[in-house]
Amino acid sequence: MARIELQNVEKRWGAVVGVRDVDLDIADEELVVFLGPSGCGKTTTMRMIAGLEDPSEGEIRMDGEVMNEVDARDRDVAMVFQGYALYPNMTIYENIRFPLRMRDVPKADQDRLIREAAAMVELEDYLDRKPGALSGGQRQRAALARAIVRKPQVFLMDEPLSNLDAKLRQAMRVQIKHLQRQLRITTVYVTHDQIEAMTLADRIVVMAGGSIQQIGTPDQIYRDPANTFVAGFIGSPPMNLIEGRVEGGTFSAPGISVPGLSHAEGRAVTLGVRPEDCHVAEGAAHLTGHVYGIEPTGDMTYLTVKAGDKLIEVKADRDFRADLDTPQGVTFDMDRLYLFAGESGERIR
Amino acid sequence: MASVRRKKGENLLVRYLILGGWALFCLVPVLWFLSIGLRPRTEIITPQPIYWPTFSLDAWHMIWEDWPMWQYLRNSVLAILGSVLIDLVLAIPAAYALARYEFRGRDDIAFYILSTRMMAPAIVAIPIFFLFRNLGLLDTIWALMLVYAAINLSFVTWIIRSYMLDIPKELEDAARTDGASDLRILWEIIIPAILPGIITAAVIAMIFAINEFLFTLLIASTPDAYTMSMALANFTGGSDGVIYNAIALVAFLAFLPVFLVVVAIQKHLSRGLTMGAVKG
Ligand SMILES: Nc1ncnc2c1ncn2[C@@H]1O[C@H](COP(=O)(O)OP(=O)(O)O)[C@@H](O)[C@H]1O
Ligand SMILES: [Mg+2]
Repeated sequence: MARIELQNVEKRWGAVVGVRDVDLDIADEELVVFLGPSGCGKTTTMRMIAGLEDPSEGEIRMDGEVMNEVDARDRDVAMVFQGYALYPNMTIYENIRFPLRMRDVPKADQDRLIREAAAMVELEDYLDRKPGALSGGQRQRAALARAIVRKPQVFLMDEPLSNLDAKLRQAMRVQIKHLQRQLRITTVYVTHDQIEAMTLADRIVVMAGGSIQQIGTPDQIYRDPANTFVAGFIGSPPMNLIEGRVEGGTFSAPGISVPGLSHAEGRAVTLGVRPEDCHVAEGAAHLTGHVYGIEPTGDMTYLTVKAGDKLIEVKADRDFRADLDTPQGVTFDMDRLYLFAGESGERIR
Repeated sequence: MASVRRKKGENLLVRYLILGGWALFCLVPVLWFLSIGLRPRTEIITPQPIYWPTFSLDAWHMIWEDWPMWQYLRNSVLAILGSVLIDLVLAIPAAYALARYEFRGRDDIAFYILSTRMMAPAIVAIPIFFLFRNLGLLDTIWALMLVYAAINLSFVTWIIRSYMLDIPKELEDAARTDGASDLRILWEIIIPAILPGIITAAVIAMIFAINEFLFTLLIASTPDAYTMSMALANFTGGSDGVIYNAIALVAFLAFLPVFLVVVAIQKHLSRGLTMGAVKG
């Protein structure tokens, strides 16, 4: 229903830069997730799309039409806020009805639309209650219902699940994705949780320090991280990043020696290897250190090895056990090694 | 089990004793006034204390029959309610602008508004007198209404603004994306959310207005604009000397409506007084 383009968008408050150089093209019906640590500018970018914040520079377009001067109330964008922002003095029914009333939807249609929206989020039995009498999950769903009831052009969700417990989060995640596919509404979803981003997104926009680090599908972001920031942010546990040098085709750092690397000869680099691409070794190994920690989870065991003063995470077999401080070797999957430039953190290999 | 229950009972008793003692402490002056109002003049100032005064409606008859008390009461009620209404109509939008819009000198204006409260009222007494004389409003309840409204406007604005500052900004952003205009947001979201604060401010404004004397004295010169607070003054001069029992009774009558209002809206008021301090 709507394609969103951000061109060269920047937001400043005096000397404070919220976001800069944001170039982004969101396709119709796409679900794009903004992912990044707290304070990186996700909310600011989303609020500019909503029209709640004016960009200091650049252009925001929807379906080709420049929106910079269009007021939030005329943008046909629905937003779900982190704190739900339900109107405390209105019942859930009145809350869901509010956007319909504001947009002069005929009275005759209102009731039907409200009940449809409530049914989609399984909230039909709570329509008479005030928000204060609902649980966190129910409030979340009420906020969703209020957003979907008027079938907006664009859906914006700012960390909508961050106040829920883990189990409910998983259930709501599935529900949100289902609703988005069913309603086919262009959606921007903000989160700092990489699992949420990986599972929900058509494309992920990784942000840090107010600018975009990488845009790509979850697969691309996972397989081809553009720099050390993205590499270290995605995956759980995230990628091991080891600083060292390449001399004579061999990467070396304290306790670590990886031969057969033809890149970046003589330069300071960061070697990246995911815990799932590290393997427990009996004899010769790329890394020799000592067992620092063992965390069995049932389906696998997280092993932490200390080499030099660096802690390396390894996803080991579920039966793997070892005593603390015993010597331990680790080999890396040579096909899945990453190299990043030491200074800039940009990907070399 | 039994001992636990008895302990609870004792606790309750102690609690009632303390609260009852406190209530008595607060109510004694009021009851004292009522008792003075309902005794004959001869029993008010005596060398010996009188523990059981004679019950008398002398003062009661006097205030209604010898004085146009109904008119004073009506003047008070109209002037006060009118002034509170004016305050709310002006203060709510002003408070909203001060709480939410970004503009140059906003914080200075907010502080200036409060600072008008710090000035001695006598400074503006003379200008106000001339102002109303030129407007031809002297000795009318319209003038009283405007003066009371002016006196209270600053702090009514200030209280309402502080309540508005406590409303999460997200709530307004949600309403805006839902398609509401600023006025709609104010009317449908903000005002209902801060109703306890508005009521609190209105009640305090009422109390100030009832007690206002200086400007009332300046403006009112005949029973056309006399209020209850002026009526009290009527009983102190004149050939009859100070009529204490009438004063006490009128004071009690002036106190009663406020008291009843406060009791009626108690729930909102106590929430209102704490809401600003503790974020809900
Ligand atoms: N109204 C504002 N005034 C000044 N700085 C702000 C304002 N809003 C956000 N910022 C700053 O902009 C940066 C990005 O904020 P935000 O977009 O909320 O981050 P995120 O949502 O990714 O946690 C932060 O450093 C924040 O302090
Ligand atoms: Mg945020």
